[in-house]
Amino acid sequence: MKLLLTLMMVLCVSLPAHAQAADLVIAQAANFMPAMKEIIPAFEKETGLKVQATYTSTGKLYGQIINGAPFDLFLAADTRRPEKLFTDDLAMEPFIYAKGRIVLWTLNKKLCATPWKEAIQSPAVTHVAIANTETAPYGTVAKIALENEQLWTTIQPKLAIGQSISQVFQYVATGSADAGFCAYSYMFTPEGKNGCFVQVKEAPKVIQKACILKSSENKQAAQKFVTFLSSSTVTAIKNKYGYE
Amino acid sequence: MTLEPLLLSAKLAFCTMVLIPLLAFPPAYFLAFGKCRGKSILDALITLPMVIPPTVLGFGLLILMTPTGAVGSTWKSLTGDRLIFSFAGILFASLVFNLPFAVQPLRASFEKLDKRLLESAAVLGLSPFQTFYRVVLPNCVSGIVASSILVFAHSLGEFGVILMVGGSIPGRTQVASIAIFEAVEALRYDDAIYMSAALVPVCFVFLIVINAVNGRQQS
Repeated sequence: MKLLLTLMMVLCVSLPAHAQAADLVIAQAANFMPAMKEIIPAFEKETGLKVQATYTSTGKLYGQIINGAPFDLFLAADTRRPEKLFTDDLAMEPFIYAKGRIVLWTLNKKLCATPWKEAIQSPAVTHVAIANTETAPYGTVAKIALENEQLWTTIQPKLAIGQSISQVFQYVATGSADAGFCAYSYMFTPEGKNGCFVQVKEAPKVIQKACILKSSENKQAAQKFVTFLSSSTVTAIKNKYGYE
Repeated sequence: MTLEPLLLSAKLAFCTMVLIPLLAFPPAYFLAFGKCRGKSILDALITLPMVIPPTVLGFGLLILMTPTGAVGSTWKSLTGDRLIFSFAGILFASLVFNLPFAVQPLRASFEKLDKRLLESAAVLGLSPFQTFYRVVLPNCVSGIVASSILVFAHSLGEFGVILMVGGSIPGRTQVASIAIFEAVEALRYDDAIYMSAALVPVCFVFLIVINAVNGRQQS
């Protein structure tokens, strides 16, 4: 019993020591994940700093930030939330780091022969996945496109809502939904290539802004990352994933 | 508008509570009285949903419930509908998730039964089914009540599993826990507070009603 207790104590004390603290903690909107998975290793290689990123919907990250989550840098999927953090004196001046767009993604190759408006209304489609229109900017632009085409009410019975753009991708990838409004960037991943996509030209471009948070204790590292974002290395990666 | 998720949660909890005995009685009975080598394996298998993370369980269920998955395709051939993103789907997930919570109290109350009662029943020539119906059940009411209450309360708060397989469709799969989560995310704190505050008394009233019904049965 004593031995067991000692062992537990030793484990409790020693385990956290193994978890390496990151030099930079990034709150990243889910749509940019495919590109970020390449940007981070490149940055770490160049600077020797360790980066940790959390990927989820912009709204969720914003909620966590205003509630004091310890992020250094916020890479959103819209302009609204970084601007709001800036006006509320919680962040430094935001800047645009990417422009993305949505596509309709499906594993059913036949659907891609038709425009997206027809595809989602086809009887072969029982469920269309869309990201939460309130918290995920890629869901918001999908809703705008549907509203502009007077399809928002018609399509309601078919909609399945994902909490972020990556959950939408997961719904389509597993065959739960027949099609989904996904970020164009996901089309360049191995899983994305399993299906086909149709452009949604009616949807506005998603202007994505980032900002360094005032509460950050690693402002220097964050600044380095911001500088790195405008390097040719990152531009190449962004182009590779369909961002402007 | 904000009432809908609350009603849906209540409906899900109620349906789970009504249906779960069908699934929970046989394994609980077997675990309490059965004599065979595989008992501990079955026990572990049934208890598994209690210990693995709800998201892991949810992802496993998502794979099973897709139109091409084992459960999803069977359901489609039976009903013509999809299981995923439907009320039937979250009910199925809820039943799997709640099985250990129903089985454990039942098993405990079966095991507490006086063995002499069962022996007398056998001597008097009752079939195993009659024994169960006329001896075991009346003597295990408290275990059944405990298990129902636990399952009901547990279903009301279900979150992780439904988040994975529900698709948050208003009126169909957007239960209170998901609606509250989304309201907090969208910074609609008033909605979140309103729904949370409504959920507690609703749970409370339901439990009082169930207790009253069960109390009447016992007397």
